[in-house]
Amino acid sequence: MKIGIMVLEGPYQHQAVDSAVNFVNAALARGHEIIGIFLYTDGVNNINKFINPPGERNISQKLDEIGAKGIEIVACTACSKFRGMRPDLKIEHARQSGLGSLADYLRASDRFVSFGD
Amino acid sequence: MDNKVVVLLRKAPYGRVYTAEAFRTIMGIAVFEMEICVVFLDDGVFALLKDQDPEKLDMKPLGDGFPMLKDFNVNRFVVHDQSLLDRGLSVNDLVMGVELVGSSQIAEIFDSYKKVLPF
Repeated sequence: MKIGIMVLEGPYQHQAVDSAVNFVNAALARGHEIIGIFLYTDGVNNINKFINPPGERNISQKLDEIGAKGIEIVACTACSKFRGMRPDLKIEHARQSGLGSLADYLRASDRFVSFGD
Repeated sequence: MDNKVVVLLRKAPYGRVYTAEAFRTIMGIAVFEMEICVVFLDDGVFALLKDQDPEKLDMKPLGDGFPMLKDFNVNRFVVHDQSLLDRGLSVNDLVMGVELVGSSQIAEIFDSYKKVLPF
């Protein structure tokens, strides 16, 4: 099955991105295809490569590992600007782009799953 | 695979970013020829109230934008009847004409559109 993902919350404040990471890894393990992960609103903060939680899970690193498998991770450009998430702050395997990516994921997926409040 | 999607508004405007972002999402994906149904549920119905004036919050009013979405070929606006009733509101309090529906019809809409973007 082709699955699109959206994450609406940032790191550590909310479980949304953790659940998304676990969901994506579980779906991949079962042979499903992840069309892409769209990071929206505070979700854009999840790809900050300077995230450095002492002794705890590193969320941006987990996303980078998913991106390194060839899965597209896109953070909303406008939301990134609102939050000062400059392109040079982001992990390697993610990029910033517009809502066109969200439309692409909606169109290309059999199911679309949102993580947030 | 198709281009149909529900954008679901559940929260009151201004206190959180979701109403503004739902609006921006509708504009942003409508230009990519998505067939969008906008559903207003729970406190989401407040997004359509007339005469919103958030000037003292240093924010822009959100309600007036929704009728303009028809220019972007977004033509289906659905409001949950009980959510309006629970808040002492009627369709006369809203900035635009809407499709007023019950809970079972909301469920049918979700089922027929398959994909839902919840805000």
